[in-house]
Amino acid sequence: MDYQGLAQQVLAGVGGKSNISKVWHCATRLRFYLNDEKKADTKKIDALAGVITVVQSAGQYQVVIGNSVAKVYDALVDLAGLENTDEQPAVPAEAANKPNLINRFIGFISGVFLPFLGALAGAGILKGFLALFVALGWMTEKSGQYQIWYAAGAAIFYAFPVFLGFTAAKQLKVNQFVGASIGAALLYPSLVAAFAKGTTMHFFGIPVVPTTYTTTVIPILLSIWALSYIEPLLKKLMPEAIRNVFVPMLSLMIMVPLTLIVVGPIGALIGNALATGVMAVYHFAPIIAGIIMGAFWQVFVIFGVHWTFMPLIMNNFTKLGYDPLTPIICAAVLSQAGAAFGVFMKSRNKKMKSLAGSSALSGLFGITEPAIYGVTLKLKKPFYIAVASGAVGGAIISISGVHASSFTMPSLLSLPTFLDHGFMGEIIGLTVATVGAAMITYFFGVPDDQSSEQLKNENQPKNSNGTDEIKAPVEGTIIPLTSVKDEVFASEAMGKGLAIVPSNDEVVAPANGTISAVYPTGHALGMIDDSGAEILIHIGINTVELKGKYFKTLVKQNEHVTAGQPLVKFDREKIAAAGYDTTVMVIITNTNHYGAVEPTAATETDHNWFLKLAPKPAAAANTKGVPANV
Amino acid sequence: MEKRDFHIVAETGIHARPATLLVQTASKYNSDINLEYKGKSVNLKSIMGVMSLGVGQGADVTVTADGADEADAINAIADTMKKEGLTE
Repeated sequence: MDYQGLAQQVLAGVGGKSNISKVWHCATRLRFYLNDEKKADTKKIDALAGVITVVQSAGQYQVVIGNSVAKVYDALVDLAGLENTDEQPAVPAEAANKPNLINRFIGFISGVFLPFLGALAGAGILKGFLALFVALGWMTEKSGQYQIWYAAGAAIFYAFPVFLGFTAAKQLKVNQFVGASIGAALLYPSLVAAFAKGTTMHFFGIPVVPTTYTTTVIPILLSIWALSYIEPLLKKLMPEAIRNVFVPMLSLMIMVPLTLIVVGPIGALIGNALATGVMAVYHFAPIIAGIIMGAFWQVFVIFGVHWTFMPLIMNNFTKLGYDPLTPIICAAVLSQAGAAFGVFMKSRNKKMKSLAGSSALSGLFGITEPAIYGVTLKLKKPFYIAVASGAVGGAIISISGVHASSFTMPSLLSLPTFLDHGFMGEIIGLTVATVGAAMITYFFGVPDDQSSEQLKNENQPKNSNGTDEIKAPVEGTIIPLTSVKDEVFASEAMGKGLAIVPSNDEVVAPANGTISAVYPTGHALGMIDDSGAEILIHIGINTVELKGKYFKTLVKQNEHVTAGQPLVKFDREKIAAAGYDTTVMVIITNTNHYGAVEPTAATETDHNWFLKLAPKPAAAANTKGVPANV
Repeated sequence: MEKRDFHIVAETGIHARPATLLVQTASKYNSDINLEYKGKSVNLKSIMGVMSLGVGQGADVTVTADGADEADAINAIADTMKKEGLTE
């Protein structure tokens, strides 16, 4: 398409540069503030090839172009010699003090887990219970119910690369399904089987080191990070017409082998070096190995290099008849559970409290992922405390020379395998690691209440249960705001909402909150509910002209009201008789603070919710330069 | 910082519609823009803030803008006030 030519014609159509007060664009539209909309030749612009339609709304003159809008915009700005205002929105305060690399990395990791933390914690508990039932002899690992429930609990961990491919792609703004597909490819049965056998495949002659990707975190994150550079590049190279299919195709073609060839071997290399190194150190000075393993085992887990220790541990059992590492790893595992328990005891944030409680429980059974990704790493300090406590516990255990007599996944349930040698040392070490982590976290590791409020706000603006539900302030028939006979309200320029054709004469508070604006004329009323939603209730259209006649305000500014409390009485019949439309408009004037304002599907008011406000997704919040609200 | 006083002559004061238009105008600018009335100052980019002042006929209000485009912002707000018949 000839963007230059189109831009030129649009420019002429809107009345030239002199008529443009401001121009910017969104995903599909060129948006103008024109000095005089009458000077614009709407018919001519509408007829241009490349223009879908023209919309005049809320003082904006919008030319709908479609996906190529950015190119037309650039051409237009060039042509008219206008200032390119398509710059980054004002830098949010958070980004201004740029966090350091480690914090950004930690933030990214906990961010990609955030969307499925609940499911992760639930599956973790299920796995923990199964391990407990087996330990208590209530179930055998061979039974069908165990195997099926185990699959139910373990699947989410097994498929980490798929889930993380999806969520990381969202964070890095690349195709989410391509991201998930790359993750799924790493787990593809034939590849997993070949790698498990230790087969080294060749990709055009390049050897592919056999690596286990199930339950790993870092490989897929690195892969999606690389994709975030490759996908935009492919998009640029690819003609628009075939982009939808061929960008994903090439992304998969490139990224899957790249991940297998590059990321896998790096992980394996680091892991092998670590494993042999740690064992060498153990023979030389057990306490140092104890400190390293106790401190960093969970870090190894995050990077997925802990798998390389498994053959080593197995090797110890066959060669020595016991393994000294499992008892130490137990300290690292339980210290995370302890830290999560400390958060559980201290946090006043309901969501964090329930997550910390359940993840501490599953952590005791050796499933630490929910504790790490949902709680300790997210709050950072508890993770560091767990690392330190694990190191101390690991040191005590290594000095005591504890032996594991048989292979278990390290957890509280491994205790019976330590009975042979140094059992007391194990108990002391684990107690120090777990109780120490819990206590230090309780006293020092959880941000004070103010910060835990902030944490809450981060995901769910000013609300503990995520959404804010607002009831109808007056009885009557519900109609869409857009069908109201006043273009300012109907355009949703003030915010989204609903309108009610009233069937009674009393406006009541739609939620608990504080009255923020009352008018001498009584025809409108503003309140800020306790979750922070700014609700404007406007009774009738142009009723400001009645100057208070037929309205009686029952509350004062700054008064706190409870849902259902009468706010305004009005005389519907007399207002109608005076020639005014009595429709009551309910508008969320800070709509742009929310991800969505959902209207009820009901057509008559009832006692259920009327408007539902959903928070912005965590990643999207605070990134737009939206006007701040008082 | 730019500052300008306005005398509101509109019979109905700054009610919903003009408040919306003023907020829309203010939101086009990066500057911090505030509206002061009777010693209370609110963010002119917030509809609820502006409406909470309950500015009526005959009120004297002050608009301040602070930022790179402060002068343009004040001029645009003055234009909107006039266009909406809030000021003379």
